[in-house]
Amino acid sequence: MVSGRYKSRSMRRVAITTPNGTNKIAYRPKKPKQAHCGQCGAKLSGVPRARKSEITNMPKTAKRPERPFGGVLCTKCMRLEIKKKANNLKL
Amino acid sequence: MFEKGRVCMKLAGRDAGQICIVIKKVDSTFVMIDGQTRRRKCNIKHLEPLDKTFDVNDDATHDEIKEIFKKMNIELKDKKSKNTKPRQKKQHKQKEKPVKKEATPKKKTEANKKPKATVKKDSASKPVISKPKSEVTSDTKSTVDKKD
Repeated sequence: MVSGRYKSRSMRRVAITTPNGTNKIAYRPKKPKQAHCGQCGAKLSGVPRARKSEITNMPKTAKRPERPFGGVLCTKCMRLEIKKKANNLKL
Repeated sequence: MFEKGRVCMKLAGRDAGQICIVIKKVDSTFVMIDGQTRRRKCNIKHLEPLDKTFDVNDDATHDEIKEIFKKMNIELKDKKSKNTKPRQKKQHKQKEKPVKKEATPKKKTEANKKPKATVKKDSASKPVISKPKSEVTSDTKSTVDKKD
């Protein structure tokens, strides 16, 4: 019988095989949603999908790509932004 | 489009949004760039051409490109070179140990020497062992106490 606290779906269920060989259901905390681009809504690569407590312990370079708008915009939108900036630039 | 001396803006990577100048054309797809970016080979697809060109030598040094950027009112910041002096390590203060006074070897004087037990040889009687003075005194004291 499942204990009461695991009956709600606030925890995700993961099927595991124990060292004994029997199959069991483990209850783990849910992962947050993948980070998305601020303009087009595409999934961002290079941004970890983990709980906030895990991300805070990561180094800064592991949290987002090291380019302008890294972790905020996707590469396509970022290039468009920079092209706009280049067209308006007066040297 | 991307001829020698063309001012460009980099679109990709960590140098994105920074201005550079084409120094050399490597082949149909790659060029050498320098300026606000690092001096490096770069794909043409990752560059946005701007409307200015300058005369650049074939093997222009970074200092020459600095002067060109000065004409555009852009100052290039030099990054710290890696050949820096080794960092000085903190040296912990060592506690001075109290200096032990060297024990001078005591000179053996005649007064300090213990009197040796001597055997007196009498001609006729048995040999009499004379005890050292210290032992004699202790014996005598004990006898005196008993008498009291």
